[in-house]
Amino acid sequence: MSSQIGIGFSSHLDAEQAATEAILQAQIGLGSPNIDLIILLSTIHYDPQTVIQSIHQTIHCKKLIGCSTAGIILSESVQTRGIAILAMVSDDIHVGISSIENLDKINLEDAGKELARNILSDFGPHSRQIFLSFIDGQIADYSSLLKGLQGIFGNIFPIIGAGSSDDLRLEKTFQFYQNHTSRYSANGLILGGQINVGIGAGHGWRPLGKPRIITKTEKNIIKEIDGKKAALLYEQYFEDKALDLYSTGLNQMTILYPLGVYIEGNKEYLLRNAIQGLEDGSIICQGDVPSGAEVHIMIGNKESCRNAALEAAQEAKKNLFGKPAKLVIIIESMARLKLLGRMAHQEIAIIKQIFGATTPLLGMYSNGEICPFESVDKFKKPLIQNESIVILAIG
Amino acid sequence: MGTLEMIILIGAFVIFSLIAGLLFAIQQLQKSQESLKKIMKSFERLDEQAKLIVKTDLELNKAQEELDKRLNGLDALQKTSRRITTTLDENEIFQRLDQSLMMNLGFEKNLILIQDKYARLQPRINIGFYEKDIAVIISHIQKNEELLKNLQEGQTFSSGNISHQRKEFINQLFNADYFILSPILTKNGLIGIIFVGNSAYSSSLTEGDEEIISILANQIGQAIENARLFEEAFRASQILETKVKERTQQLAKALEDVQNISKSKSSFISAVSHELRTPLTSIKGYASILMTGKLGDVPEEVKKRLEKINMHSDNLVQFINNLLDISRIESGRVEMNMTKCNLSIMIESVHDLLTPQLKEKNIEWQAHIDPRIPEMLLDQHQVERIFINLVSNAIKFTPQGGTISINAQMNNNAVTIEVSDTGIGIPEKDLTRLFEEFYRVENEINQNVKGTGLGLSLVRKIVQAHKGKIWVTSQVNKGTTFHFTLPIQQ
Repeated sequence: MSSQIGIGFSSHLDAEQAATEAILQAQIGLGSPNIDLIILLSTIHYDPQTVIQSIHQTIHCKKLIGCSTAGIILSESVQTRGIAILAMVSDDIHVGISSIENLDKINLEDAGKELARNILSDFGPHSRQIFLSFIDGQIADYSSLLKGLQGIFGNIFPIIGAGSSDDLRLEKTFQFYQNHTSRYSANGLILGGQINVGIGAGHGWRPLGKPRIITKTEKNIIKEIDGKKAALLYEQYFEDKALDLYSTGLNQMTILYPLGVYIEGNKEYLLRNAIQGLEDGSIICQGDVPSGAEVHIMIGNKESCRNAALEAAQEAKKNLFGKPAKLVIIIESMARLKLLGRMAHQEIAIIKQIFGATTPLLGMYSNGEICPFESVDKFKKPLIQNESIVILAIG
Repeated sequence: MGTLEMIILIGAFVIFSLIAGLLFAIQQLQKSQESLKKIMKSFERLDEQAKLIVKTDLELNKAQEELDKRLNGLDALQKTSRRITTTLDENEIFQRLDQSLMMNLGFEKNLILIQDKYARLQPRINIGFYEKDIAVIISHIQKNEELLKNLQEGQTFSSGNISHQRKEFINQLFNADYFILSPILTKNGLIGIIFVGNSAYSSSLTEGDEEIISILANQIGQAIENARLFEEAFRASQILETKVKERTQQLAKALEDVQNISKSKSSFISAVSHELRTPLTSIKGYASILMTGKLGDVPEEVKKRLEKINMHSDNLVQFINNLLDISRIESGRVEMNMTKCNLSIMIESVHDLLTPQLKEKNIEWQAHIDPRIPEMLLDQHQVERIFINLVSNAIKFTPQGGTISINAQMNNNAVTIEVSDTGIGIPEKDLTRLFEEFYRVENEINQNVKGTGLGLSLVRKIVQAHKGKIWVTSQVNKGTTFHFTLPIQQ
């Protein structure tokens, strides 16, 4: 009973060449011609269809999922251009995958349920450990999708999710599933079998300014704060720069200074990126926001980010109950890449110190994260977060 | 006190207590409200501070981002410079301008256009442009004379430093909100342009971007200039090499032809000379027999004619001998019989030999022989022929009462000998052809005195056979000097 993992990366300018290089590198690391699972990450500089075709022309793999990303986290560096492939072959890890498309046209809760059912069907009658999902970053309402997933998996089943990202414009995000690519889709995989899974998450953002109360919401739209239009909060702090809120793309202001919602019982503030401001002054967030909750503008810095990464890594390791990690997967908000800039690799170095320099490590920068956040309750419930780092350690 | 009074008293007390309590509560409420106001004020102050923190943080983030970008740009510039300045191949320059390296300059759009040999701009680096768009860009740039003029003058344009009209033009042409357009110049002027740009979504220009791109443009210009100069020099040397090769082949062929012709000529001369000499010997023999009178008396008139036959036969034999000697020396059939000779003695014996002719014309003889000249390895017979030929010629062309002098000097490893006369001299036009076979200078003396035109040719052959050189200097009506060298061989 064994598992082999290979990770390949290429930043070659040509999509076909880059994909081929990355898969061959991963295969060499794997040491096996057979591949059970590929997790494929690509920056938006490459034509996704060419990438996926090149991979299938080079090797045969049973299951493939992945998505676009603003950057790729490797063991030795952080790359903002390239293709990364994680290839796995295992006797003791069971994998089930599925995908659902047209999320911009269908009921997201139903979509979540369908995705979960299909994955369970593919997974078969094994003990399931963790669900990992890649969701199009252009989908505004992750909560409904999560609700659907939880409807099938249960409320406390560990779910990790990453919103696919691009170059902050939110125009070119895409997902990979088997031999095709799609937009406005979500895919996912269940890992199970004789493995231990350790999850750690954190963000490091802290509340700033006076507390305010969310007085009117509608799912993921904050209508009013302190009885006034919600966007006024940003306008008060950022003055003319708050106009960026009304543009279609993500902007520095809202990803660096998200809203922090205090939920009774949670140890960390729930962060919400203000995706877009509406004409009536409402703010669209990536996840549901409860009415009556206390809200702050949040602020983070490099040190708080690194501390959060350290704590998340320690927590993930602790949850392996002494088993060494075979693989570490990192899902990290692209806001953190923006904030850390050239120092992004320092955060990865901290994580490597926790798991050991030789542990295979791959990660992506996402637009929105789903992860079980620590609460005062015994069980951790998966929540939608922004500006977070989620570390999944498989032992 | 009655019950009613008690009730009134209690009631009054209760009312009083209630009023007092109410007043106290009001007082407390007022206090709480004041505290709340204070707290609210604190919150407001906290919020004001928070706004200040946000502003500072925004500025810090912006500064950090700019610094990161600048550092990346400088890093990319340094790597790029190192790569392109270490090649002299123009194509290699652009291969080395790795596109991912260009991306590190911090711009999502990069375009480098370089003029080809027909002065048409051609894309050499393209990131973020469709080919059809590039054709439009090139066309518009080449039509915009004012822009080209400014670029030619070395002006760099950035979205932050140009007129609104031009900004609009570049903005629309390249579809970039933030941009830098810089000329690539060489000593010969504009050879291309470099464009980098970002859309409004990406980062704007930061301080120093313009400088970095200008430096990069300069370095590309220099690298291309060096590559083109090298290419030019390389091509020139290749052409030269080819020409030299061709000319060498032609010369080798010509030399071979000449050698073949010369060989044929020598063979022909040798054959003809031998064929002529045999009957000539018979003619001369029979003439001599007749002259002796052994075959009967010879009348005086016949005898005179026979003497002429004999004399002309001698001349002819001499001529044929010279021809044969030249032919033999040329063909290498005559080996120099090198023996140790004393040059001074040799010159003296030549003087003795020619004294009658010298006396006949009252010509003064001078000989200056360097006493340091050692004994030399020479073919004595042949070298004597050199002196006899040269001195005989000198006598021939020196008028009565003139001077002939021989001067021999040690000169490193050779002896330079000069045979000078005060004769009629040789016109300059004849000097170069003087040593050719059968060449005779046209003058009055030559017209009257018969000669073969082989003497000087033979002299040259003998000098060359001794690995020496011969040349002549002359002034008409003043005299002529023949110079030749003979190496000192031990």
